[in-house]
Amino acid sequence: MSPPAAAPGARRRALLFWAFFALGALVLALAPLALNNYWLRVLTTVFMYATVTQGLNVIVGLTGYHAFGNAVFFGFGAYASGVAMTLGAPFPVALVAAVAFSALVAGIIGWPILRLRGHYFAIATVALNLAAIQLVIQVGGVTGGAEGLPLPLSDLPPGPLYRAIYLVMLAGMVVSTVLVAFILTRPFGYALRAIRDGERAAGVMGIDTTATKVAAWAISAGITGFAGGVWAYWITFIEPASAFDPAIGVKAYMMLILGGMGTVIGPVLGAFVLEFLATLVWGGFLQAHQIVFGLLIVVICLVAPNGMLVAGRSLIQRWRSRHGAA
Amino acid sequence: MLWQATANGLLLGGLYGIATIGFSMVWGVMGVINLAHTGFIMLGAYITYGLFRFAGLDPIASIPVSMAAMFALGYALQVLVLNRIIRTSLLLSLVVTFGIELVMVDAVSIAFTSDVRSVNSSYAASSIEVFGVLIPLVRLLAAGLSITLGIAFFAFLRFTRAGQMILATALDREVSSLMGINPERIYALTAGAGAALAGATGSLASMLFPVMPGMGMTFLSAVFVITVLGGIGSVEGCIVAGFIYGLVQAWAGYFLGANYQEIVGFGLFLLVLALRPQGLFGRAFFGEHA
Repeated sequence: MSPPAAAPGARRRALLFWAFFALGALVLALAPLALNNYWLRVLTTVFMYATVTQGLNVIVGLTGYHAFGNAVFFGFGAYASGVAMTLGAPFPVALVAAVAFSALVAGIIGWPILRLRGHYFAIATVALNLAAIQLVIQVGGVTGGAEGLPLPLSDLPPGPLYRAIYLVMLAGMVVSTVLVAFILTRPFGYALRAIRDGERAAGVMGIDTTATKVAAWAISAGITGFAGGVWAYWITFIEPASAFDPAIGVKAYMMLILGGMGTVIGPVLGAFVLEFLATLVWGGFLQAHQIVFGLLIVVICLVAPNGMLVAGRSLIQRWRSRHGAA
Repeated sequence: MLWQATANGLLLGGLYGIATIGFSMVWGVMGVINLAHTGFIMLGAYITYGLFRFAGLDPIASIPVSMAAMFALGYALQVLVLNRIIRTSLLLSLVVTFGIELVMVDAVSIAFTSDVRSVNSSYAASSIEVFGVLIPLVRLLAAGLSITLGIAFFAFLRFTRAGQMILATALDREVSSLMGINPERIYALTAGAGAALAGATGSLASMLFPVMPGMGMTFLSAVFVITVLGGIGSVEGCIVAGFIYGLVQAWAGYFLGANYQEIVGFGLFLLVLALRPQGLFGRAFFGEHA
């Protein structure tokens, strides 16, 4: 663990990193001026997954709790914003509702579930995800139940609306990335990593492990719920099976593995690489895209279980040592 | 009506038990959560459907075929993919097996379309009446065969050399390797046996439920709850917990309404983890510590 007062070289590297990050965000923010609708949609999807993955990073990457069914908060966010808008709330208020409701659910359900460890926690989140689908169907009423929920249409014409959603999703990705970077520098961030590396030891050091874990999951859920809330407005019709699709969580998990767990920029890199890969695949194999995605998961886990940067580095090292010897 | 619901729950409970044994054993022996397990159940159902539809084979006669096919698939996947994954990270197995499940479901959707199929044997409509409770013959057969298979697997673990090797590896991986057992071969054997039991579940389920690509996923919550309730890696625990789960589901349906299955299941799951995290018959298994 590096000390909080960083060495000058590290500080310059951090400054360079944030300069690049700001430049990238600026370019992406101006990009809609040049992009056609297809690429606008692809990039909006990338930002959405980057945000979901960043949310997953907080609980999996930083805290070491493998919330495999984290997509449940995507669904809760989508439904919170959908219901709020149906009741007449404007879009920004609906987004606040999405974040607050998802964080609240995680805060409540986290107290019992986060006492579980390893596999138990992982499958408890999957069970939560499955239960949420039926819960929404059962509640019915204002959620629309099994029939789904159409959201009120925007007054904006489609062109500006999609550009606005693009920018909101981009903001989600940027803010969640900055938030993760900020958490890492705070005592809270050190507490999370202490829990990940040895929970009992963290407790001995005086960290209230349960409260810290619940707070981390609530932040994770809030970020994920934000993406779900924007998504609901974007596609204008949500139903339980698509809003709580476990595949959303799994895809984010793959992006996290690919990009590197517990890193700041990893989730964003993973989202870009996997989503562009998926877009290319979708175009080629409309019939069998699930097969291709499933095989992609297996291949990534076999080839790059520690992320593409580590895999790339070891590949370069192997190449160098082979050519150095020859 | 309550007695009818109770009988239905108990009859389904046998099937739930056998659906879980393979999953629970794989988790207990090697610490892998196999989300592809429900895919094996679905493939078993399609094998029975295919043999019934195109060769006229009785669904019960096709059980050995689907068991053999799923054993081969489970064994091969363990050797080719999962043994390598285990060496890096156990939790990665969740993602990998989810991917394998996607491949299986999509492959079947393409091959058979996602239309709902059914296996209607000649005795599908017959039933017997006991004290005013109607017991469909196919459900009785499915429950009886489930228990028989469960007992057979229990006996396999206790009384054969291979079974003893599986148990030894589950109890202590390091010491079992000192005894000359190759853990990776035992893992493959366990995965194959678990998949074979899932295949048998699918064959039996095809007689009771509509056959479709997503049918395996309907077992997923039941499998989770029963594994934890019975105690990870415990065959007898799976069978007893299967009946308890079937009963709870039937009563939940009777008293609360039909669509509360997952919610009640999740509640039961949380309750078990809070009150008795080691399950009914839980013991120290390797997967426990993973």
